[in-house]
Amino acid sequence: MANMIMASSKALITCSSTILPTPKLKLSPVQLSFPKLPLSNVPKPHQLLSLPNSISVILAASLAMAPPSLAAEIEKAALFDFNLTLPIIAAEFLLLMVALDKIYFTPLGKFMDERDAAIREKLSSVKDTSGEVKQLEAQAAAIMRAARAEISAALNKMKKETQLEVEQKLAEGRKKVEAELQEALASLEKQKEDTIRALDSQIAALSDEIVKKVLPAR
Amino acid sequence: MNVLANTLKGLYDVSGVEVGQHFYWQIGGFQVHGQVLITSWVVIAILLGSAAIAVRDPQTIPTGGQNFFEYVLEFIRDVSKTQIGEEYGPWVPFIGTLFLFIFVSNWSGALLPWKIIQLPHGELAAPTNDINTTVALALLTSVAYFYAGITKKGLSYFGKYIQPTPILLPINILEDFTKPLSLSFRLFGNILADELVVVVLVSLVPLVVPIPVMFLGLFTSGIQALIFATLAAAYIGESMEGHH
Repeated sequence: MANMIMASSKALITCSSTILPTPKLKLSPVQLSFPKLPLSNVPKPHQLLSLPNSISVILAASLAMAPPSLAAEIEKAALFDFNLTLPIIAAEFLLLMVALDKIYFTPLGKFMDERDAAIREKLSSVKDTSGEVKQLEAQAAAIMRAARAEISAALNKMKKETQLEVEQKLAEGRKKVEAELQEALASLEKQKEDTIRALDSQIAALSDEIVKKVLPAR
Repeated sequence: MNVLANTLKGLYDVSGVEVGQHFYWQIGGFQVHGQVLITSWVVIAILLGSAAIAVRDPQTIPTGGQNFFEYVLEFIRDVSKTQIGEEYGPWVPFIGTLFLFIFVSNWSGALLPWKIIQLPHGELAAPTNDINTTVALALLTSVAYFYAGITKKGLSYFGKYIQPTPILLPINILEDFTKPLSLSFRLFGNILADELVVVVLVSLVPLVVPIPVMFLGLFTSGIQALIFATLAAAYIGESMEGHH
């Protein structure tokens, strides 16, 4: 394959050196203007016969007159120039591969894998405790419910008891008050009667006294 | 004519675009592209240095650089996993290094001011700008997927060549050559073309106009790195999974 490419490159270079006087593949304004030299001769009709001759003369001259330094550079202008660089670059690449593997790919890859594993482990353990947490939560809710029921029951019971007691005491008090009231009323009535009776007996004495006082001259 | 050639040469030297010019070093009688090696060392230094700093002391809760490198690793793992499948683990370094090396190389060509450093010949550019680099990476990818297939399935790996029908044997064999060829030339062509377009535009219109093309270049650089890594992973995955 290398030979083939080399051959093609040789052909390319020789071809360019015969047709164009710019075999170095250098880009310059001259490259555009120079090929016009032979072309400008073409339209002239009286030179038609001598045209191939003139072109060949010009080409031969341009080749012959090329300075030796330029010719040397033409030989060296090699795009497809295979040499020892190739195996050296391959060896360098392999060394780079080993070195990068030692300081970059393997350590960092291992580190990343370990971190991944650690994170995954932590994540799964978190998932496990989440189940536990749920169970505990349910337990707590059940305990709370039981406690609440107990408390409300006790409260209800206490309320009933106190209500009963209060009612009882109320009734007792009312009865007592009523009895006292009855008693008081009765005694009041009695006192009233007594007073009226006493007043009745006193009325006669009083009226006698009044009469005596009003009619002293009797 | 001599004057013309001289002015031509002067104009070559003035215009900044250099293609196929290399800064040659001689190592034991072999020629080497020095500019590619220099820039590849810089890229490797950037990669190793930043990775070493960022991953020096990993924290459980990542910050800054570590965060970024973790993101990059996740990305590479994702690419590998998508293409290779569940057994992607051992291939993460290869795919990741491919991606990071190509990506940093491409972006270094676009972002680092290489041109400040003058070379005697040729110029510094992205390492992926050179066909040697891309072919080296593509050949390594070929070796990788052969290795993956043979270690996974043994010699029965070669049964895939006659898999749907034996008629496809030549095409299946051809595929082993077209894969690295297309991988390397895609990357090489894209990066070279991108840098050339930017240089040509800068030499034509120095202000404002090249900027969108530069951003496009950054975009294509990233895409090319991703494509290379993804295709390499896909080839490896393909050779491991088999056609049953």
